[in-house]
This record gives sequence, structure tokens and C-alpha cells, in this order.
Amino acid sequence: MDKESHKVIEESLIREVAAILSRDPGLIEPEIPLHEMGLDSLGFVELLVTIEKKFKIKLMESGLTRSDFRTIRSLSAKIGALG
Amino acid sequence: MFSLPYSRNKRYLTGIDWIVHVLNYMTIKESGAGFMSQIVIEVSGNVNTSEIENPLNAFIKKHTIVNGYLSRDINLAPYWKIPPVKKPGISIDTAILKKDESFDVILKKLENGVNTLFKNKREHLAFHVLTGCGRSYIAMTFDHLLFDARNAEAFLNMFQKDWESGESSGQMTITEPAHLSMWMDKFKAGQRVNRAFFKIAGKEPPLVFPLPSGKNGFKFRILSFGRKETEAIAENAFNEAGYLMLMPYALAASVCALHGIFKGRGISSGDYVIPVSIDTRKQEEITKQLFFNHVSFLIFKAEASVASDFQALLKSIKEQMYTQVRSDLPGDICKASLLMRIAPASLLGRLLKIYFKGEIASFCFSYVGRTAYTSPHFMGNKITNIFHMPRTPVPPGIGIFFQQSNEKLNVILSYLDGMLSADEEEIILTSLKSRLGVE
Repeated sequence: MDKESHKVIEESLIREVAAILSRDPGLIEPEIPLHEMGLDSLGFVELLVTIEKKFKIKLMESGLTRSDFRTIRSLSAKIGALG
Repeated sequence: MFSLPYSRNKRYLTGIDWIVHVLNYMTIKESGAGFMSQIVIEVSGNVNTSEIENPLNAFIKKHTIVNGYLSRDINLAPYWKIPPVKKPGISIDTAILKKDESFDVILKKLENGVNTLFKNKREHLAFHVLTGCGRSYIAMTFDHLLFDARNAEAFLNMFQKDWESGESSGQMTITEPAHLSMWMDKFKAGQRVNRAFFKIAGKEPPLVFPLPSGKNGFKFRILSFGRKETEAIAENAFNEAGYLMLMPYALAASVCALHGIFKGRGISSGDYVIPVSIDTRKQEEITKQLFFNHVSFLIFKAEASVASDFQALLKSIKEQMYTQVRSDLPGDICKASLLMRIAPASLLGRLLKIYFKGEIASFCFSYVGRTAYTSPHFMGNKITNIFHMPRTPVPPGIGIFFQQSNEKLNVILSYLDGMLSADEEEIILTSLKSRLGVE
């Protein structure tokens, strides 16, 4: 996956997380862990559903590790690798 | 006096607000008091009630909505009638704590507040203070007709901010449309909700505890975990359920704990049905939607045959959560419930039992991860914990609630007195601790 595609996935995830948390996308840092941003179980499942709809990847059963899910950046990298 | 649509004296009820009114009606009928709850702020140091009373009354006076009551419009939409003038002030019941008084004794005293029916249809808040020997408990009993648990926290948080700054947060404009349009959208949502509920319902009614006879109050047991234990629970949840899966983990632990009691009683026909209330607002929206109920529900089924297998149970709960969020069941419940507002509470109470063959649910559950009370102090006293004492709707009359206050996790068992024996209560708490990995 090239840098350009990775950036597109990351920007898309930033928009989704911002919508779930009702925040300005400009305030979402891709390196901050999702739980520190205030995402809870419900918000996280909403994000997984969006990822499934957008990227056709079911992450709930993908066996990803904590580091894969930890930040928007790491999650984008994993989606890029799986996609 | 006439109340015009969108007037300052009325706020239309949403479908969820109306369901809360129905649950209130049913709970009063079965237990003598309504669908109320109590938020308790535990602080270090003694507090002087008279120092709280005046600023609290000044704050509440600005929000005449707290003395509102139910009415119906000429278009039949139910609304909350907001009186233009605040009735005479709130008084605070005070009791003195003795030295070495145990938390169990304190909890008994706090139970009295939440088990007392409000005096009239315009009263929805009551305050109680227990203080002495260097610690205090400030309890606000509130009617769910007025607001949900998070709003109760936000309401007290706003009071604290006003008190700290010495400035008034001002009057709030509270409006809600009558939602008397887009009928097809609501009917379609209703169809999807019906299909989802009938799919969850089995051939037999769900497993429930028999309701005790008489008008009993609620009993509460609270497990308060410190920072290290709370972190350990989060770590266990991650290892067993996955990243950010605390809610499904806590629900699975609760099903396991109650399953032990059902098994012990030899009750085995049927499965568990558990409504889980979820907040439909974002954190930033709480202060803008300070009153009424901004929740919806996920409805889980836990098959009794897998209730002893924690991993299978967890997998099933996670799958159901994913499916229901994917199909937006909570959103459909909000839309479909708008159609139900036409039905009087007595009728709707009966209709709600159709899905699950005469029952409502096995028990209620919620997990609130972030508190809306953000200040570390309450009127100058350092807060050591904030916990809730919710009266569960009757039926089912029993619930397990997880709620986090800063770094502390509180687990609250709430049940109608007489529903569980003292031994069973202990078994549930021991099982919960064991399942959460903090024995």
C-alpha cells in the first residue's frame, strides 16, 4: 500500500472518530490511543461497523492485537495491509 | 393558560421519555414508588447543610422545569408542562453519621431516600445529607421522568461550576419538536424493531425472578473498586474480550453471576433477555441536553445453555452488539417509540409484555464509562467517590449497573427487597468479583 492510500484511510478514520465523538476532525490526533480520546465499547463497535461498510473488512473477528487497534494510525496501517 | 406549540412552557416528550413514563407507572403499581434513582457524592470532611441549601435553591429556582408535570396537547402528543414560577424551595434531610458506622449501615440510610415516593406530581428532586466524623454523603434522589443518570451528574456539575465561579450559568432553552411527521419512517422503524424483538424472544418467556408480594423498597449492594483494581478489571476485559470491550465483558460477568442463582433455585426453562441502556448523546452534548432521557437500548439474549461457558457467552454478546449497532436497532427504537406515545401508560405497559410472553426482561444492565461530573470537589469538599442507586423498573425489579467515577469502578446490584436472600446476594457479589478477576 502506498503512502497516499494510507493517508486516505487515516483521514477517513479521523472523520469517523470525530463524528462518533462529536468533535472537530481537526482536533483528532491519529497517534492518541482511542480509549484516551473517550471512545467506549459502543463507540468502538460503531467504528468497526463503519470500517466494515467502507473497507469491507470485519475487524471484530480478525484477531487483531492491542497495538493494531490502539491508535488511528496503527488501525489505518492494518486496514491498508488487510485491504 | 394556553400552552402553544414550541412555547417556553412546554417540552414535547420523545418516545423514549414516554417509555420512561410507562416504566414509572408500572413500577409505582408494583412497588409503591416510581422509576427513580439517586446519585450519591461521597466527600471527605463534614458538610454544613445550611451552606448547601441556599445556593442549591438559587440554582434550582432558575430551572423551573424541575417542577414540571405530564400533560397532553390537543394533537395528543404528551408534553412536559413547565411552570413559569418555581415553587417554594427544596429542603435537605440531614442525618449525623456516628463514628465507625459501617458502609452497610450508611447504605441502608441512603436506601430510605430513594425508596420514598415523591410528594406530588410536581416534585422530582429530593436531597439528603449524611455527615459526621470526617466524611459525608450528599444524595440527590431524582425522578427519571426529569432526567437520566448522566444528566443527574451533569446537573450537579453545572451547580458546582456556578458555585465555584460565583456566576450563573443562566436559563436554558429546552425545546423538542412534536415529532408528528415522517410517519412512514417511524412505521418502517417499528417493523424492524418488531422483527428484531420477535427474533430475540424464544418459544418460552425469559427467565425471571418472581416478584415478591407487597410494596417493597429496593435494596442495594455496591462494590467499589479502587484505581489499581479498576485497571486490573480493564486489563482482564482486554485479555478476555478484546480492546475496548469492557461493556460486553461486564454484561457477560453479570449473566454468569445471576445464572448461578437461577441454577441454585432449579429454574431452567427459558433464556435470559437483558435490555442495556445506552447513551444516545456524545459527551459534548450533555450540557446542551441537560433534562429528560437521551438513551436507547440494545437487547441481548443469553441462552441459559451457554451461560456457564464464559467465552461462548462473551462471543455471543459481542456478536449481538455488533449486529444491533450495524442495523441501528437503538435508532429504530427511538423512532418507533414515537408511535407509542398515543397509548396511555396502562395500555402500553401491557403491550410491552407481548414480545416476551408476559415478561419484560430477566434483569436490567448498564455500563456508564465516563462521568459527567468533572469537578474533583463538591462545594469545597474533596470527592472520594460518586455512585448511583437506581431503582430498577418493576418488572423485572433487578439490575446490575457498572459506572465509573474518575478512576473508580462501581458495580451496583439493585433489587426489590424479598427477591433475593442474603446468601444469594453474597453469591452474586462474590461471583462478580471472581469473574472480573478481583477477588
